[in-house]
Amino acid sequence: MLARNAEGLYWLGRYVERTSHLCRLLREQMETLVDRPVREIHFGWRRIYGALRRRPPGPAIGFGGSDDDFTLADSFALADDLTFERSNPDSVWSCFAAGRENARQMRQCITGEMWASLNLPWLRLRELRIEDVWKTAPEGFYAEVSRDLDTFMGVVERTMYRDDRWRFLQIGRCVERLQLAVSLLLAHVDEVTAAEDGSDHDWMSLLRVCNALDAYTHRYGVGIRADRVFELLVVDARLPRSLYDAADAAGRELTALAPGPGPTGEAASLAALITRAVRGPWPTGEHVLDERCERLRQIETRCRAFHAAVMAAHVQYEIDAPAP
Amino acid sequence: MDFGAYEIDPAVYDEMFGPDGAPREHSRPLREALGRLPSADLAEIQERVSRSFLNEGITFTVYGDESAEERIIPIDCIPRILAAAEWKRLEAGLAQRVLALNHFLADVYSDARAVSDGVIPEDLVVDCPQYRREMRGMRPPHGTWVAVCGTDVVRTNDGFVVLEDNLRVPSGVSYMIANRRAVKAGLRRLYRHCRVREVEHYGRLLRETLRELAPAGSREPTLALLTPGVANAAFYEHMFLANEIGGELVEGRDLVVRNRAVYMRTTEGLRRVDVIYRRVDDDFLDPLVFRPDSLLGVPGLMDAYRHGSVVIANAPGTGVADDKSVYPYVPDLIRYYLSEDPIIANVPTRICRRPADLEYTLDNLERLVVKRVGESGGYGMLVGPHATPAEREAYAREMRANPADFVSQPVLDLSRAPCFIDGGPEPRHVDLRPFVLRGRRTRLVPGAFCRVALRRGSIVVNSSQGGGGKDVWVLEG
Repeated sequence: MLARNAEGLYWLGRYVERTSHLCRLLREQMETLVDRPVREIHFGWRRIYGALRRRPPGPAIGFGGSDDDFTLADSFALADDLTFERSNPDSVWSCFAAGRENARQMRQCITGEMWASLNLPWLRLRELRIEDVWKTAPEGFYAEVSRDLDTFMGVVERTMYRDDRWRFLQIGRCVERLQLAVSLLLAHVDEVTAAEDGSDHDWMSLLRVCNALDAYTHRYGVGIRADRVFELLVVDARLPRSLYDAADAAGRELTALAPGPGPTGEAASLAALITRAVRGPWPTGEHVLDERCERLRQIETRCRAFHAAVMAAHVQYEIDAPAP
Repeated sequence: MDFGAYEIDPAVYDEMFGPDGAPREHSRPLREALGRLPSADLAEIQERVSRSFLNEGITFTVYGDESAEERIIPIDCIPRILAAAEWKRLEAGLAQRVLALNHFLADVYSDARAVSDGVIPEDLVVDCPQYRREMRGMRPPHGTWVAVCGTDVVRTNDGFVVLEDNLRVPSGVSYMIANRRAVKAGLRRLYRHCRVREVEHYGRLLRETLRELAPAGSREPTLALLTPGVANAAFYEHMFLANEIGGELVEGRDLVVRNRAVYMRTTEGLRRVDVIYRRVDDDFLDPLVFRPDSLLGVPGLMDAYRHGSVVIANAPGTGVADDKSVYPYVPDLIRYYLSEDPIIANVPTRICRRPADLEYTLDNLERLVVKRVGESGGYGMLVGPHATPAEREAYAREMRANPADFVSQPVLDLSRAPCFIDGGPEPRHVDLRPFVLRGRRTRLVPGAFCRVALRRGSIVVNSSQGGGGKDVWVLEG
């Protein structure tokens, strides 16, 4: 496969995951706006911006204190920034546009069904403005985009031939999932630690963002405990969005790739290291949150190194060597 | 749909109706079917055809128009019909023309017999900006310089004439196929009833053509389509054709030259490329030979080509044969190389480098179309009757300053075909771009990209300037 195409498919996977992740965060936040206390609304916004490592536009979140009207106006501006702002590379619009553009350039590498299932939602999304979705039920809009992307991934599963094209797309998805999940966990812990009056709702909302509330209830019952949420989201191989699942799948797809002309050993070692770090055992005891966060940051660094190693092995390799 | 108000002008050939207003024999089934179809149904078909282009991302880009990065070519859902006999004549005429032009290219890049025999002036050939001295002495496989040709043909009351040849990187063939798929789906029963010849095997024929051109010794040649990239107006077509020929869609940055051979960067290392179907202009192919600032090309590509390890189709330098200054000589070239009379005529053309032709053109500017040599896509053209006196005067000044840069032609009464506009049939001017393939032999699919000047009264069919498209149904004999 053409090296540039491999990179395009890898990024297609990453952008689709990124858009879907952001939609789930925003859908959850929109539901919070309906009936949750102002504190939780501020918590949600700070968690999103923290996870994206971005500063929100305008004054710091929470500036309006407990004024409901102010909080809603604030939320409108923040939702616009994160959804339709073209100059924000992390907005839903920008991420979807980037994923769809990758698909457009890689159309000869993907199936017609994949293209259609990404292009049609894009044609609906591209002309929308925040006013269009805000006036009724904005959470419905985010849920719909999430469903569109789930459909796209379903179409990928059902129509794409399982060769290296498939594998690069999957590796991109896994790397993105790992990075997004780690970043969200770190932002969540930051906010939980800072909050003086935190509630179970904070952890439940995290489960909902990760589509894991049903799985949690099924496994642990209705009582929410932070350590169990962590265990489910990070270590549990049976949860489709767990860190372990993403790390394990990335390693598996990497191993199945045809050997690249660049140095391949490094990517494989990093994949093994990441999987081992995710599997645990994780620190327990007095300073559990600090130590776990330290481990998460380590995983995040290795993910970045893994990305660079995959590119160096298969895409951006040196070609000074004589041709075959 | 009611044809009651459809306007017939006996001075202009109508593709569906004779001068007396009766449908032409081969168009009768279409006319009758459209007559039975309520306008609302046709509007729905039209909407579906347009939507299918948008949904599938069959788009093009207009240079300099940042607001409309991806646009669809408006497709009219009423097909244009060609009778079997009409196509047979066109097919023979186009094949003849492409063969003669290939002979001409082989000649001007070797001993230039046509020049020494006085068929065409020497300076007109060697001073043409498209003449590439670097190609002198080259002998492409099977003498095929032009593997893919898109010839623009129009019809007047006097029959078909060739408007221009496109021998460099002709585009539009993907629309021929996309139009067919969309219109066929909309008018399925009629399509079946009319016994229309297929066009969707074009990709297979292109693949066979390119494989025939592969360097000797490459049993399973690797094909690649070289695109300038996603910003190019025809990027959709590049992607479509790469898929059809089973080749990789490559950009210049994907290719490297090693040991006088071309390789593409794959995830498993470098892989040899045997045939490049290039959709990049000559100027940008190789910065070591042509424009040094080109980022689209491949350094060393021309050296590998000259070495014979890779074939480039169309060959660099083919532009000299489709230049507007050479065009008037093509009928003579056909007679010279093939000893045959041209089957399809040229438009009478005046070459402004000749003082008498310049004088005539300047005196009759309001009745002529004036074209710049070296331009294409309808750019830089003056349509005399539609221009203001100030525009004509400004153009005349340029012509006096550089007469050799211009040719002029009478304004043709391009034929018209019914289009579905604002809920009813209205006549619009059309042209026809069939595609001729030449490897070891000549191949054509029975069809063409038909361009339509959708603005009322306009004769400019270019998609970059408000033109649209139509499906062309060539009927079985």
